[in-house]
Amino acid sequence: MEISTTDIKEKIIASLNIQDITAGQIADDAPLFGAGGLGLDSIDALELVVMLEKNFGIVIKDMEEGRPAFQSVATLAAFVNAKRSV
Amino acid sequence: MDKIVIAATSQVAEADLKLARLGSRFGRLDLMSQLALLAVEKLGVNFDSLPRERIAICLAARAGSLATDAEFWKGRDAAGGPSPTLFAYTLPSAAIGEIAIRHRLTGPNLCFVGDSRDVLAEAADLLRRGEADACVCVYCEVVSSAAAGMIQSTPTSNVSALFLQRDGAGQILPEEFDSDMESFCAKFRA
Repeated sequence: MEISTTDIKEKIIASLNIQDITAGQIADDAPLFGAGGLGLDSIDALELVVMLEKNFGIVIKDMEEGRPAFQSVATLAAFVNAKRSV
Repeated sequence: MDKIVIAATSQVAEADLKLARLGSRFGRLDLMSQLALLAVEKLGVNFDSLPRERIAICLAARAGSLATDAEFWKGRDAAGGPSPTLFAYTLPSAAIGEIAIRHRLTGPNLCFVGDSRDVLAEAADLLRRGEADACVCVYCEVVSSAAAGMIQSTPTSNVSALFLQRDGAGQILPEEFDSDMESFCAKFRA
């Protein structure tokens, strides 16, 4: 079964303990890091790596591999689905 | 000798966090940092009244970061390992950083693992030496069930805060005192 962007948003909110923001308030293509999006930082990035392993069994050993995936919710969902189909 | 006054006091417990709204990233903080931030917020101090670089922060934690250390250790067997975010809070001084960031305070800071009297005495000395004009004092008694077992203590989660100022308005801090911060907070509570 394909992982939706809503699934990813809910996992991000839960794993990063983000308060007062719902999945519906996060745009699929909004940047995860820096201004204009969720404003996540480098520690959040590590937490997202743990979240991917915990929830989807995806292990990212090289952060360079993960960098394009962590652009937005949409890219992260696409990355998860591509990894799960292998 | 300069007169040191207690300009504001506050006390919070874990139950107070239910109604706390301190931004979307408040949930990422460990319990001690959350309580410390809330206690400082409840002081109701207008930090704009003084230059930010002249406001110090002194914090003591009775059990250091043991509660967070134990939680981090517990996660070592989980898939993906323990939480990287939690790792950032396995130092009691992390709470000082959170206070400094939120209120943009850039004065000196001190962190103790110990008694709240250490905080008051050191903060008063800091002000008397002229290193700062005011000091946010925080005493954290945060001992989780897991941590309590390690130090033969009872679980607790209370944080007291005081705002000390040189020559400001408020109750005068005695030059010699044997009370702890909780007693001062109780005595001077508005």
